[in-house]
Amino acid sequence: MNNIMKILKKEMREVFRDRKSLAMMLIIPIMIPLLVLGMSALFELQINKDPEEYNKIGFTYELSEEEKNLAQELNIEYSEGTPEEIKKSYENGEIYLYIDKDNNNFTVNYSESDDLSSFALNLADTYIASYQQMLQSTYLLEHDIDPNEVLNIVNTTYQITDEDSNYFSNYITIYAFMFIIMAITVSATYPATDTTAGEKERGTLETLLTFPIKSRDIIIGKLASVTLSSIITGLLSLILALASLAYANNIFEIYKGINIMPSISSIIVAIIIIIFYSLFISGLCIAIASMSKTFKEAQSALTPLTFISFFPSMIAFMINITTTPLLAIVPFLNFTLIFTDINAGNIDIINIMLMIISTLIYITLVIVYIIRQYKSEKILFNE
Amino acid sequence: MLKVENIRKKFEKFKNKKEKEEFYAVDGISFEANDGSIIGILGPNGAGKTTLLRIIAGIMEPSEGTVRFDDLTYDKNAVDIKREIAVLSGNTHLYKNISPYELLKMCAEIYDVPSSEIDKRIKEISEMLEMDKFLYNRIENLSTGQTQKVNIARCFIHHPKYYILDEVTSGLDIIASQIILDFIKKEKKNNKVILYSTHYMEEAENICDYVIMINKGKIIATGTPMEIRKKTATSNLRDAFFSLVGGYHE
Repeated sequence: MNNIMKILKKEMREVFRDRKSLAMMLIIPIMIPLLVLGMSALFELQINKDPEEYNKIGFTYELSEEEKNLAQELNIEYSEGTPEEIKKSYENGEIYLYIDKDNNNFTVNYSESDDLSSFALNLADTYIASYQQMLQSTYLLEHDIDPNEVLNIVNTTYQITDEDSNYFSNYITIYAFMFIIMAITVSATYPATDTTAGEKERGTLETLLTFPIKSRDIIIGKLASVTLSSIITGLLSLILALASLAYANNIFEIYKGINIMPSISSIIVAIIIIIFYSLFISGLCIAIASMSKTFKEAQSALTPLTFISFFPSMIAFMINITTTPLLAIVPFLNFTLIFTDINAGNIDIINIMLMIISTLIYITLVIVYIIRQYKSEKILFNE
Repeated sequence: MLKVENIRKKFEKFKNKKEKEEFYAVDGISFEANDGSIIGILGPNGAGKTTLLRIIAGIMEPSEGTVRFDDLTYDKNAVDIKREIAVLSGNTHLYKNISPYELLKMCAEIYDVPSSEIDKRIKEISEMLEMDKFLYNRIENLSTGQTQKVNIARCFIHHPKYYILDEVTSGLDIIASQIILDFIKKEKKNNKVILYSTHYMEEAENICDYVIMINKGKIIATGTPMEIRKKTATSNLRDAFFSLVGGYHE
């Protein structure tokens, strides 16, 4: 049996025997369906809010019959009173917004931080626009002019150009992918710590070094085991993400008529990214953890990696950055950017190749670095 | 035959808060160990025993000097040498979440013991060291004595020619210590070379054929226990050591 395979076998047994390693491999993947379904439910709740929940609007003046009819037509549950009474009702949460009127000058009082108040604002805007149109029509009729010849003379038709996606579908798919990346990072952290600093702390590293195996083979075996466990986590996460996206697609109204499932090409690229990212993050975790004297020290040193793996990608997605050849070689960021592009239907082979080649270069550098560390007595024996 | 030739190992230590200085943890040690002999490496804690044995075991590189195992040296034949040696020390620990059987199988595979022979060897060793009752229990659940038996079994699985044993009885109770001492005597009869480092002088006196006393990285005396006692005009190795270093003051 090849020496690397012997180390791989030993390390994989350690990973699968250790409850904490297994928990780390499974904990984030299990959270992915919760994230996909939870976020979808939240979006839906925001979009399809029942007007009954936010239609309580106060008026600091007496409404005319026409105004009352208009409010009723718009399903506004209105209340009238003095400015003091209405303000008090607003502060007590009995109404979500109130309107002052001075001649035909309206002041809408609402809260930016309150969801219901923001929804009520849309209703108030509609009310004021309708009221304005009502006044304009009355005026025109009084002057024997057909309002239809003055008002509504411009027609607008809205045509959706990407009927197979919407803001939410794109959002949920990319976030699911970013969670896969995060799951891989978390999954790599624990076995990488255990196999380096953990082994040093437990005193088994010295035993391992007495075996007739070259340091290079020990390191590659260890890297292979951490990578393999990360790939398992990544693929499990991908399967759970796809299953939960398919389920969300069927049950949520916000995805009605569109397909939120990534295309086959997106899935293939996702698998390639999972493999390369697992290799990259495993090497990085081993390099960092092997410098630490204790398991705890290594865990502390690796904690920022979880954030680094997630936040740059999240920010790039939020500000709509797309992949350029330069960004395709920026570690961490490139994986999500390329997936985002592919998901949007933009397949750029050069960027994908740049990501693969740069990752291979980084991994080679990391392996060379770890091999040097495993020759350093300062690192191995903490002396 | 093992030949250690003028081994020196340089380290750095802090002289004060800012400055570092170099020192030799092992300074010019040479000796030979013939087949079928037990060589005692004796000295107090910090004398350089562990560093010397780590160099001989090939897990640390000397700053100067060479270690030869039947004409093989680490710079060219590291893997071949490691196949022939077994290292057991207070610093070497076992994987806790596997059973002794799994550990022995893993070690046998690493040392390229033919797969058809692995189970036979495990059975033989298990009977010899009376490990049958706990062979399939997890190592983390074993007593200190049982763990030490597993450690010995691990060393023995590939039938090494050289044993490097560093402070192996430190902290062990009388039964666990005796298991190791009996094992060493048995392997000596099988013509193996055993390097046995300890700071228990009485223990060394009982089992070592030849003794190398070191202090502050340097050899201060060599010979059979009887020769050293005679040379220092003392009745035991403990007194001989104090006589050689001029008392117990630093």
